[in-house]
Amino acid sequence: MNRNLFLKEIKRNTLSLAVWMVVITLFITVTMAVYPVFLANQSKIIGMMSLIPSGVLQFKGISNFTDFLSALGFYAVNNIIYMMVLGSIYAIVLSSGILLKEEYNRTAEYLLTRPLTRSEIFLSKLAVLFINIFLLNLVTSLAGFVCLELFKNAPFSIKAFLILSLYTLLLNMLFGAVGLFMSTLVKRARPITTMSIGLVLILYFIFTLSKITESIAKIGYLSPFRYVNTDVTNPAFSINFWHLSYFIGISLVLTVISYRLYIRKDIYT
Amino acid sequence: MNPPVIDITNLSKFYGKVRGIEHVDLEIGEGEIFGFIGPNGAGKSTTIRILMNMIFPTSGSARIMGMDVIRETKKIKNQTGYIPSDAGTYSSMDVYEFLSYCIRFYRVQNGEKRIADLSELFELDLKRKITDLSMGNRKKVSIVQSLLHSPRLLILDEPTTGLDPLMQSNFFELLLSENRKGMTIFFSSHILGEVQRLCKRVAIIKEGRIIQVENIETLRKKQLKKVYIEFAGRPGKEDFNISGIEGVAGGSGNMISFMYSGDLNALVGLLSRYTIINLMIEEPSLDEIFMHYYKL
Repeated sequence: MNRNLFLKEIKRNTLSLAVWMVVITLFITVTMAVYPVFLANQSKIIGMMSLIPSGVLQFKGISNFTDFLSALGFYAVNNIIYMMVLGSIYAIVLSSGILLKEEYNRTAEYLLTRPLTRSEIFLSKLAVLFINIFLLNLVTSLAGFVCLELFKNAPFSIKAFLILSLYTLLLNMLFGAVGLFMSTLVKRARPITTMSIGLVLILYFIFTLSKITESIAKIGYLSPFRYVNTDVTNPAFSINFWHLSYFIGISLVLTVISYRLYIRKDIYT
Repeated sequence: MNPPVIDITNLSKFYGKVRGIEHVDLEIGEGEIFGFIGPNGAGKSTTIRILMNMIFPTSGSARIMGMDVIRETKKIKNQTGYIPSDAGTYSSMDVYEFLSYCIRFYRVQNGEKRIADLSELFELDLKRKITDLSMGNRKKVSIVQSLLHSPRLLILDEPTTGLDPLMQSNFFELLLSENRKGMTIFFSSHILGEVQRLCKRVAIIKEGRIIQVENIETLRKKQLKKVYIEFAGRPGKEDFNISGIEGVAGGSGNMISFMYSGDLNALVGLLSRYTIINLMIEEPSLDEIFMHYYKL
């Protein structure tokens, strides 16, 4: 890893990281601020929700009304789209551009002519990617934790909260690895941001559709969102070893393949 | 004996089925200023990109200062400077930030002074954002970044694009001065005048193949002559359809001109059949020599 390149990349991505942190934190805060209102009117709201077809509720990620009654359940159901989908979009946009940006901005001719090996370039950028995704998750999870503490009506399981946060981090890391892999496959220098965001959204919709339509339930296994457990109100809620292996395994394999491809890639500007 | 600074052996690069370069051989010695001439698409940038390990060769090998351009690229780049033809910019940086970022990759003593000295020479405003600079000023930044670490080898890809004549002149003076201190310069260009002004030796590349490596002066003197003849009567162009004569063009009146490569006695023998009013044989310009090789 090269310290100079690492620090430059950290600085280059600071503003974007800060913006994403603020946006996701605001979404979480606003959503959680509704929780006391919901509690105060829970009988009316549950009455209204019972009129909504179960398929629609499942599409929203609500499988059980009792999920809503606890602060952590409310947090898990309502914040998944911000922390998991937006976090994954951040991760894939950052990772798909972190190497490729040097090509389509035509700065690769400066970077690749410095005394650096391709390995050093890759590892420096990978470290920046990892740290940025980790920091985003740390800050947004802390924001979630503070909101839960502020708005809870009863103690909640810290362990369940940490497991949910870990799943979010692993999912974001996986999309980070996917973006990196996609960028190393691109032959000609051009941004792949739209394609990356599209991939996250498509995989999210595949997951939600597979939940409401039994006939296509199996397609849901194609989506990484399927392997995230948000059932925090279940007393048996824990980390699933196979799901953990899935996230770590795929992320590692894609990162190693990306590394192998990048160190032999023809870089055009 | 020192190995050649650049040693390219049977180097080829194909982009799929499309030819980049084919069987390129080049050897450039320590302290040379070597010109690399060819039009766009001839393979100049491909060759340079392989040397700088931006792209990988399909076959063959290249060494710089005795080191393999793929395996030992880091060591090579510690001693090599590079000026791209038209690179992009880090939009968030000002000139000083960019140059500081560049110099930190090397172990340069008095780096701040080096930045200040070179920027002064090229009249660069260090506080300006690079994105706000004109093309010429961006080129100056590119030149300065390549010289920050006082490299042993400087590789230039069309380096004068965007520079005004005065700055070009300063730049060439600087190159000659650095060369006198021992720097080897590999100068790629399609502008023959600047190659002629700077380089001692030149390689001409055509459709991915090196077609000639020659001293500039030898190239100029190598039997290739520009011949102008004024005849008493107008001879047919077909009379000059013989080996060694090419580019026959009719001028005003009974004038004919052509390029001739070969034994001058044979040409005089041919001309003795005609009544000649005026005969002028001169050295061709480098452009004409270049075009001659391109027609071969």
